[in-house]
Amino acid sequence: MDERFVLIGARTPVPPPLPAPKWYDGKPVCSMAVLAFIMLGCLCCEVFLPKDPAYMDLLHAAVPPGSEFWFGSDTMGRDIFSMIWYGGRASLLIGFLSAAISAVLAVLFGAVSGLAPKWLDGLVMRLTEIFLSIPSLLLIVFLQAILGRASVWSLSLVIGITGWTAIAKVVRSEVRQLRNSEYVLASRCMGGGFFHILRKHLAPNFFSSIMFMVVMNVRSAIAAESTLSFMGIGLPLEVISWGGMLSLSEKALLSGAWWIILIPGVFLVVTLLCVTNIGSWLRGEGEQRGNNL
Amino acid sequence: MRRKNPFIYYGGKLAGLAVSVFVLSLAVFYIARLAPGDPLVSYYGDRAEKMTAEERAQAEERLGLDEPVHIQYTRWLGRALQGDFGISYKYKTDVTQIIADRLPNTLLLGGTGFAVIFAGALAVGALCAWNEGNLLDRIICKVGTVVSCIPEFWLSLVLILVFAVQLRWLPSSGAYTLGGGGGADRAVHLILPLTVTAAGHLWYYAYMIRNRLLEELRSDYVLLAKSKGLRRRDVLLRHCLRSILPGYLSLMAISVPHILGGTYIVETVFSYPGIGTLSYESARYQDYNLLMLLCILSGSVVILSNMLAQIISERIDPRMRGEMPAEVTEHG
Repeated sequence: MDERFVLIGARTPVPPPLPAPKWYDGKPVCSMAVLAFIMLGCLCCEVFLPKDPAYMDLLHAAVPPGSEFWFGSDTMGRDIFSMIWYGGRASLLIGFLSAAISAVLAVLFGAVSGLAPKWLDGLVMRLTEIFLSIPSLLLIVFLQAILGRASVWSLSLVIGITGWTAIAKVVRSEVRQLRNSEYVLASRCMGGGFFHILRKHLAPNFFSSIMFMVVMNVRSAIAAESTLSFMGIGLPLEVISWGGMLSLSEKALLSGAWWIILIPGVFLVVTLLCVTNIGSWLRGEGEQRGNNL
Repeated sequence: MRRKNPFIYYGGKLAGLAVSVFVLSLAVFYIARLAPGDPLVSYYGDRAEKMTAEERAQAEERLGLDEPVHIQYTRWLGRALQGDFGISYKYKTDVTQIIADRLPNTLLLGGTGFAVIFAGALAVGALCAWNEGNLLDRIICKVGTVVSCIPEFWLSLVLILVFAVQLRWLPSSGAYTLGGGGGADRAVHLILPLTVTAAGHLWYYAYMIRNRLLEELRSDYVLLAKSKGLRRRDVLLRHCLRSILPGYLSLMAISVPHILGGTYIVETVFSYPGIGTLSYESARYQDYNLLMLLCILSGSVVILSNMLAQIISERIDPRMRGEMPAEVTEHG
């Protein structure tokens, strides 16, 4: 502004216009970037891996991090840096796969229960409660025993089967609210089948409210895989995953080899944290009203 | 919804419990027997693998495993109703005795864990709501998010690494020193498992309290109380906290099995002699009788605490009564 024409007596200077909201405002950019980095690294790990992750170099067992083994080597002499990227594939795959399985199961059960007559709905809900009352650890041990030798696929199935109930409850209550609406009725009158109504009319309505639960299921599935493999009831030892790497930690504790425990765990926790941040962003933080206190 | 006679109300709940436990026992019985695995191994150890077919048949007959599953079940049910749950294949003593030996350990860990979570979540949640948007609130929320992402077993490992291996301040496993014992010894063994149990759950409930309190703080009665001249502290603690308390109580009732289930993993990592390690062993080694009683026990805890939650929200919260139809409130 030209200094010769300063307005005198202007009480309310015009506030500078707010900067236009950037595309990344409110989005968990950092979490998305880190997660994308980890996923990309796991997917294309063949390109940059310095060593074969499965090769056991028994002469160099439990070597601390250094120039040859960047993240050290484990008690069986495998290179932890290579194992992390390679093992992340199994862990992440199980996370996404079992979240998908549980989402499908939940939508089916929830929609059937929501559309069904009252007695059937009550029965399904009671059975769900009983199902929930078996401790999930025992359920997983059972299911794993029935399915036989654990693989990435069977473990995803088992974790998926044990994790659908919370989503099913949400789907059910949404469906119960929607099922008497005119458009569902109209679609029914025109002969729309169950799956047609579910896909065209119901799913778009409850999609947003279960989306964050599905993402949170990815997180709990990754955590479940690592816990199970750690306890020795998940993936067999030769399949490398983050949890499986941590199952060697008993020996590592005795020898004080901190890198065997800390490094895979940090990767695991960072991944879980990123997924959580994305999940809670999807939930939306609700409206912001002033505090009356 | 009519206000029912309390006998009918609680009687109905008990009948529901009985039916649920029956279905649960049936399901577990069948699943356990369908799962491949050799229960004889858990009874006879490695000897079972070298047995001849004849010896196997004899052993199976002795344990009653040769008959069809439904006959085994009715026999088991008949005995169980008289309080006889059979013997454990692995320990060869009465299963009730084995569980009675281990149960106090789990109750100690789970009970103190529950108390810490219950009180801690209230305190942390109220503190955050009090300082909404402040640095303190933001720090606590961030720390909570990070800690709740850490799997319990890894947190246990890190704590063992730091406090037991590096610093040698605390024991790394067990519930008491062999031969020794006494209150202080038990307490020292409890510190690490308790920390892990509490850390895993505390944040979730604290966050819940914080958000509920903030919702309350936005309601009109807070404005009224404030304009009446009440102090901030009184409004928050006397009015808001009180009005979210019934919801919190019923939430905590539902959380009992989650917290107990969380101790399963913690017990395994710390080799803590409790119900968790026992259930894990019994499921892995087909110790049928032990497994049945453990599943029924933990299942009943889940169902009971769900019912408790329902009763709390239906009966304790006076607002729920107000929402019933007028004729009901007149009688009630």
